[in-house]
Amino acid sequence: MRILRVTVCSVCAMAVCLSMLGCSERTQAESTANAKKVIVIGFDGMDPRLCKRLMDEGELPVLAKMRDNGGFSPLQTSMPPQSPVAWSNFITGAGPGVHGIFDFIHRDPAKQCSPYYSAAKTIVGEDGWEVDQHKIPLEFWPFNHNPTQTLLQRHGTPFWDYLDEAKIPVRIYDIPSNYPPSESKHGHMCCLSGMGVPDLLGGYGSYQHFSEETQIFIDEDGGMRSRIVFDDNKATAKLFGPHHTYLTKPKRVETEFTVYRHPSEPTVRIDLQGQSILLREGEWSEWNKVDFELAMPSFLPNAHANGICRFYLQEVRPKFRLYVSPVNIDPSDTGGQKVSEPVDFVEQISKELGLFYTAGFQEDHKALSNGVFKDEEYLAQANYVLKERRNLLRYAKENFDDGFLFFYFSSTDLQAHMFWWDSDDPHPTRSPSEAKKYNAVIEDLYKSMDAVVGDFVREYGDDALIFVMSDHGFSNFARQFNLNTWLRDNGYIEPINCQSLIGTQPGATPDWERTRAYSLGLNGLYVNQLGRERDGIVPPSEKDELLNDLTRKLLAIRDPRTGKPVIARVYRSDEIYAGPHVKDAPDLLIGYHRNYRASWASVLGSIERNVLADNDSAWSADHCIAREEVPGVLFSNRRIEKVDPALIDLAPTILEEFGIPRPKSMTGRDVFDAKVTAR
Amino acid sequence: MSTINWLLLSGGDAALWLLDCALDMFLWLFATVDVVLAPVLTPLLGVLNPIATFLGDAVYAVLDPAPVWVGLAVISVVAGVVMLFAFKVTSNQKAIAKTKDSIKANLLALKLYRDELHVTFIAQWRLLKSILKLQWYMLKPVIILGLPMLIGIAQMGIRYQWRALKPNEAAQIKLVVDSQEEVLPPIELQAGDAFEVEAGPVPGGGEVWWLIRATEPGKHSLTFLVGGETVEKQLVVGEGLDRVSAERVRDRWPLQLLHPVERPIPSDSLVASIEVFYPGRESWFHGADYWILSFFVISMLAALVFAPVFKVRF
Repeated sequence: MRILRVTVCSVCAMAVCLSMLGCSERTQAESTANAKKVIVIGFDGMDPRLCKRLMDEGELPVLAKMRDNGGFSPLQTSMPPQSPVAWSNFITGAGPGVHGIFDFIHRDPAKQCSPYYSAAKTIVGEDGWEVDQHKIPLEFWPFNHNPTQTLLQRHGTPFWDYLDEAKIPVRIYDIPSNYPPSESKHGHMCCLSGMGVPDLLGGYGSYQHFSEETQIFIDEDGGMRSRIVFDDNKATAKLFGPHHTYLTKPKRVETEFTVYRHPSEPTVRIDLQGQSILLREGEWSEWNKVDFELAMPSFLPNAHANGICRFYLQEVRPKFRLYVSPVNIDPSDTGGQKVSEPVDFVEQISKELGLFYTAGFQEDHKALSNGVFKDEEYLAQANYVLKERRNLLRYAKENFDDGFLFFYFSSTDLQAHMFWWDSDDPHPTRSPSEAKKYNAVIEDLYKSMDAVVGDFVREYGDDALIFVMSDHGFSNFARQFNLNTWLRDNGYIEPINCQSLIGTQPGATPDWERTRAYSLGLNGLYVNQLGRERDGIVPPSEKDELLNDLTRKLLAIRDPRTGKPVIARVYRSDEIYAGPHVKDAPDLLIGYHRNYRASWASVLGSIERNVLADNDSAWSADHCIAREEVPGVLFSNRRIEKVDPALIDLAPTILEEFGIPRPKSMTGRDVFDAKVTAR
Repeated sequence: MSTINWLLLSGGDAALWLLDCALDMFLWLFATVDVVLAPVLTPLLGVLNPIATFLGDAVYAVLDPAPVWVGLAVISVVAGVVMLFAFKVTSNQKAIAKTKDSIKANLLALKLYRDELHVTFIAQWRLLKSILKLQWYMLKPVIILGLPMLIGIAQMGIRYQWRALKPNEAAQIKLVVDSQEEVLPPIELQAGDAFEVEAGPVPGGGEVWWLIRATEPGKHSLTFLVGGETVEKQLVVGEGLDRVSAERVRDRWPLQLLHPVERPIPSDSLVASIEVFYPGRESWFHGADYWILSFFVISMLAALVFAPVFKVRF
């Protein structure tokens, strides 16, 4: 009897312990990985040329050692070499024709050329119970209202689905192109979504800036600026939150905060929802929780949206300036917002690490581009992001026993966009000495990333297969090309005074009955095809001729300033893509030469006066050009046999490593298979 | 649908109104009780708190070698047994036993005579009377045991709710000024060896804030100069289960109950309170907010287990 009691107690205790353990422990108990480990460290935008130079100079000893052992190659990127496309190639082991992501921006031909973000789509719920200026979706029977929901637009089967099915533990941190995160059908996959996760306001990073210099409220691309006025060293301001979507006329919710300024010292106190934050000039606060209350009808409890933000006191006097980071979804209590799979995975991480950035774009590059940040301020913020990621990496390593681990760093991309400049040509916004100084930031960053890889190699050695990879490389971005302006000037878009693809102003928008081609997104060019576009005019029979004509003319474009060609290659989607989604792809993909890129305005359909112009943005480097110009990197602690490895090869290689045959949907090949020849 | 909406909205408005009324009533009740209790409890706590703190220190010195959770468990069990015994002594056990028997009898009557409407009604009425009577019998021990229990819980709170600052850890300090003047008097936190002022003072809204960073372990004193007056506040830096006084408060009994360690600030002082924002102790068992749950669960379980031993009925 006593034995029985002890046994029952032990079983109960074990059950309680197991139920208290997180995702990782639960699945590892059933792991079939047989202690096999595959680790992929993804450095967004890590460039092979810079890596090679630094390795040759002895600055990247860990990566150099991998190279010396045959484990290094440039990695063929996607066309276009944009992160959502490239990471989707990695995830599905197939090209855009399979996963359906062709650009950051897609267009809806049924609405002629209405642009939208390609990787996720928000469908606004239209049903609801209308009461007291509210519209509340009742999702249960008999109402069955559809709530507003965001859907992942990436198609194809991610490689981790096969691992999940084979009961191999999968841990993925911050992966792009997977928001909302795909479901783990067998419970062996935990994933924290990365690029694509919005902030609490629904955008991709909206800072809020409060200054005595600001005269009127400005809602600009990337953030909002408000005027703050002090009366006897006290000022109140409003922090904006998400839209209250339960209202019949949704409006932004807001919460008030008070700033007390020391009469003479450069110090302030910020009182926000019962918290007091003391800051000296030039100081950042820790993360602060913000609760946005969404008022509901009196018979229902109010809803809440939980966010976190950081304050940065830029200046106290003479002109007060306070930066507030984008309000991120609170990782400790997401309020049902799905930023991870399973939904509480992010909360488990937060229990150990505290609060951290959850939005996909964490480095606030828009604040630098818009002049809210100075270079040093951006660097400090970006370095804080890196510090947080390294904390997360520590957590990832501590919670990884076997199976597959992916960890993503955005710093190599978003710091490079703002600081990369590897030529003596004039920089868009910096003096030559400053351009050199900040380019060195990227080199230092690569060195610290080498140390990150070194930690892995030291810890796992040959016990794990380690990949270090990037989705693309980098290039200076000195000149911007407005493709729509060129199309208009060459008679493909009519009328000649047309100023934008989007809008309703007569004369300023295209006459679609005379327009034969248009451009949306960073690399895409579409034919205004009869039967596909709502107002299409080009019959499919004439499409080939038009595309050939466009290709020939585009390749002939020269920059009048240098006489050099602007476009290196023009790709036809029906030639480079295969799969069920080719029909949605742009007809032509424009591969710019290094130094060039699509203009800021043309991406969303604006048509400017000049075809070519200087890039005047702090965003001074890019990669949305010809794919041959910006390959990524692939390092491995095992010799790479394939001559020209590509992003799409990694998924089948990972599966092969776990003994899972390459699925038919994957077009990539095992990079360790000596029999595989060049593509 | 509009009728349903109207009904729901009206019901919601009425419920909110009732909630407001209940809150006002509670505040009124508390204010009334306060008038009676304040003259007695304020000076009494002035005497009892130092004694309780001394006893608390002695108890925790004995428990010091054991893990923190063991200490809490032992104290909870002992408190449960002591409260049980005290309940036995202070309550009318005979009357309670009689009332509980009556409750049992009436419950039985409800079960046996469910078809006899008259008997059922009488049994229900008697049941209600017995329950109310039982509550009445409970009132005396609750009143007698209430204060010692609260004092004991406060002694536990100063050890489990917060933890001392670790060396090199930062904390905010809030000084609340009791002044109707818009312009605050000059307020200064004197420099000390045990901490560095990182930011502040930042005045505003009748409060002054500092951010300090602890440097030296030990029990230290923060000295504030407020308009010519000197006020001190304890600062604890170190590891382990040091007791921590998060706030030094005015001599008002509800505040003294919660913050028993430091001598109250005199009523005529310009300073209403000084608070050090210590971090909460982290543990699912004995950490901030959880310790009191653990205490109640264990002490009640102990009381239930020992009730037959001491022949106590409740």
